[in-house]
Amino acid sequence: MMSSDAILEIRHLSKSFGNHEVLRDIDFTVRPGDVTSIIGASGSGKSTLLRCVNLLETPTGGEILFHGENVSGKKVDASAYRAKVGMVFQSFNLFDNMTVLKNCMIGQVKVLKKSREEARQNALKYLERVGMGPYINAKPHQISGGQKQRVAIARALAMEPEVLLFDEPTSALDPEMVGEVLEVMRGLADEGMTMLVVTHEMAFARDVSNYVVFMSEGVICEEGKPGEVFTNPRQQRTREFLSRFSKG
Amino acid sequence: MERLTQLGADIADLWAQYGGSYLNGIKNTLILALVATVIGCLIGFICGILQTIPHSKSDPPVKRFFLALIRVIVRIYVEVFRGTPMILQAVFVYYGLPYFTNNSVRFQNIWLAAILVVSINTGAYMAESVRGGILSIDPGQTEGAKAIGMNHFQTMLYVILPQAIRNIMPQIGNNFIINIKDSSVMFIISFTEFFAVHRGAVGATYSYFPSAAIEMVGYLCMTLIASFILRWVERKMDGSDNYELVNEDQLVMTSGTYTHPQKGTPFDEHSKEFKERERTRQELKHGRNRGER
Repeated sequence: MMSSDAILEIRHLSKSFGNHEVLRDIDFTVRPGDVTSIIGASGSGKSTLLRCVNLLETPTGGEILFHGENVSGKKVDASAYRAKVGMVFQSFNLFDNMTVLKNCMIGQVKVLKKSREEARQNALKYLERVGMGPYINAKPHQISGGQKQRVAIARALAMEPEVLLFDEPTSALDPEMVGEVLEVMRGLADEGMTMLVVTHEMAFARDVSNYVVFMSEGVICEEGKPGEVFTNPRQQRTREFLSRFSKG
Repeated sequence: MERLTQLGADIADLWAQYGGSYLNGIKNTLILALVATVIGCLIGFICGILQTIPHSKSDPPVKRFFLALIRVIVRIYVEVFRGTPMILQAVFVYYGLPYFTNNSVRFQNIWLAAILVVSINTGAYMAESVRGGILSIDPGQTEGAKAIGMNHFQTMLYVILPQAIRNIMPQIGNNFIINIKDSSVMFIISFTEFFAVHRGAVGATYSYFPSAAIEMVGYLCMTLIASFILRWVERKMDGSDNYELVNEDQLVMTSGTYTHPQKGTPFDEHSKEFKERERTRQELKHGRNRGER
């Protein structure tokens, strides 16, 4: 394993809430251009893992290396690190007090210290990219779930992150809106964006990602190329999990 | 009917004699209530923000100690000033200072004393409202801000506080109206607000009821106008229900106004009624209503 070119390396990561151990000894690597899908049943620790990667949860043990530097230590400036790692949430988390455009500008202006005009142009570029250009003056409560999620993606992209984390981006959406969000994500993957996606969309994991991690009860149960994991799973638990989806 | 004409005549007499004083009293009351509400809100915001600074077990002990100290001090301040009558606070502060300094330090300006007491009192109530307002904002908003690299200060300033202020706006209005009325206890330190004028006028004329009628109408007018203005401010803060669609071709000048089709029923979470209900619910949950005292 070459570690020098990796963006993110997760080493022996563990996380407990009180006595409840949610993650145990998680190891994996994200390289530039990778689209990694994390799949697994609810409660298997997928989302917690992603939130640990973004330091929204403090890991109890192990290391998170960003370009070889440990970011999970106490001395690290978590804000500076998060500015380089985008995150898209299940519940969108758009700022309710700002318009769509302002949502995509605020981070650039206040965190990256760009000029307002530069931030505006950049925000418009990414909003066009996700097809939300006409809605820049709307407030989040005025647009649909799928539209909100596309704005959230544009907001994350406007920070020009090195890797984008998705925490079940389509789970809170009505079925007819799932497609538009997945389409945007597929486009990003085609352009070579590095992505780490927690998802229940098995078709997306199989067709778009180039690496799949299957989690069960807080550990990585199986991982590999999507072709291998989906067509020829080695573990019994993976087979059981996948069979539920292929039937449905 | 006869009594009413009598009352009208008495009021007219009283007004001819003391009209200027009544108007001056109204002016002083309004200035005191306005300034004290603004300063009180500032105190409340500072207390509320200090109380909600996040702390965890992994923080250095010095930081944890200071945060705990701040919370204890704010707590004592709130309990003391919320738990004693404002009229006594006024006496306590106004006469306490000269008492302890052998008359070397006293309030040169009665305005200063009055504003100080009403502000501190308002601040004690607002501290809890602001804290509740901040806590009522969905944690997702904080996470969204953190995820794009904002620190706690930036998150508060640009994301949480603007939303919290909107949510506690009814409480601010409430405090303003209560201050208009309750500043009347400042007569105790000889501050010539509206009610003090009444005491002065009846002391000379003994026409208690006509003067009280003037006072009632005067106070009601002040509070009604205040309510009206506050509602207007709230509507302004909510902004428009519509938004302009921006056409991709900027040369085409037909951009229409689009009303969201889901804004129909009061049960829809986007509707005004729903938001109003939600706000009332939050107020009941977090804010202690000053009007109940």
